[in-house]
Amino acid sequence: MTRTAKRRLVLLAAPALLLAAPAVAQEESEYGPRDIGGTWERYPSAFSGLGSDSEAPVGPQPVPDPPLKAEYFPAWKAEQEEAEALTEAGLPPATNYTHCIGEGMPGMMMGMFPMEVLVNDRPDGTDQVTIIQEAYNQVRRIYMDEAPPEPEDAEPRFAGHSGAHWEGDTLVVETTGVKDYVGYRNVPHSMNMRITERISLLDDPEYMQNEITVTDPEYLTGPWSWTWMYKRWPGYKMQEYVCEDNLWGADAASGAATLTIDLEDD
Amino acid sequence: MTSRLLGWTLAIAALAAAGTASAHHSFAPYEPDMQIRLHGTVTKFTWQNPHVYIELEGAEAGNEAAETEIWLIECANPGILNRVGWKFNMVKEGDVIDIAVAPMRNGQPAALLKAIKLPNGEIHGNGGPAGPATISLEN
Repeated sequence: MTRTAKRRLVLLAAPALLLAAPAVAQEESEYGPRDIGGTWERYPSAFSGLGSDSEAPVGPQPVPDPPLKAEYFPAWKAEQEEAEALTEAGLPPATNYTHCIGEGMPGMMMGMFPMEVLVNDRPDGTDQVTIIQEAYNQVRRIYMDEAPPEPEDAEPRFAGHSGAHWEGDTLVVETTGVKDYVGYRNVPHSMNMRITERISLLDDPEYMQNEITVTDPEYLTGPWSWTWMYKRWPGYKMQEYVCEDNLWGADAASGAATLTIDLEDD
Repeated sequence: MTSRLLGWTLAIAALAAAGTASAHHSFAPYEPDMQIRLHGTVTKFTWQNPHVYIELEGAEAGNEAAETEIWLIECANPGILNRVGWKFNMVKEGDVIDIAVAPMRNGQPAALLKAIKLPNGEIHGNGGPAGPATISLEN
């Protein structure tokens, strides 16, 4: 069933200090302050028009460069610039994407494709938030009221290991154990990287923000922080994404993304 | 959908997608500013991730010197295409179609789809990341 945000106007009593002021009409949503479940798309969206809604919230700022330590930053920056130049020239370097490998954390929370958030209140008490990113069928399981394992005990994974708790109406998620091979924006990291996400609905609960902070004592001089935002997509049904026919790979000599063309002209 | 509306939809999608990557690979290997119209017959259609492909036996429309050859036409993935109104069985082997494409920069017989005109005259884009058609398939 398609869920449509149904809103109604309610009159709120004027605060005591503003008794002389008229009662304020304010919209009340069907969504509670912790109702993060449902399907979401990246906001501002790349794949569906926003129209010209002047009420829409301002999108997040671009992700800043990482505060890599002096011994790492120049090499990272040079690599980014070289990749940009090669892409401009039509020879983009092959990436994990080229090989059909998903982003892992934190990149999968960018919301490249639509994202589904499932909030489970299990009878056995092991509550869980599950986030599914449509691109590459990526899944992360976030265990409520648990801390993630310490890095030395965390089996390296693409999505890492996540535990979460509520601080007011903000879901605070801690993640450890992201494979060093999984590099958002090709930023190197150690197994001591930690990702903290503060996920909350905006005043308008059609929108959700994810304030991300990455720390890594081995590579970063301090926290690397940015915000991603999402907009509800009521009724969207997630699609499957299995890379069953990948014609792209890396050129052995140059490392450029290369299309294999094997036409059936028989 | 009228072609004008389709055009606006594609243009808005392209603007929204500016600066973002496809969820599989960069489209940089294709000509960024040059598009051609191909006319031909579908010899194969695969609805799979990470990309849908059309194999087309055809030639550049309106170019009498162009030789008929087989082209590999790269489309977006099934998810994106479903979201912009395609259906998995919308294209069939044997269909005679017109397409607006950006050819590979390196001269290989492959191209990135920008828009497709089906035998019934319907025109569909290829989703935001692939960018809009800059040539018309109307006539």
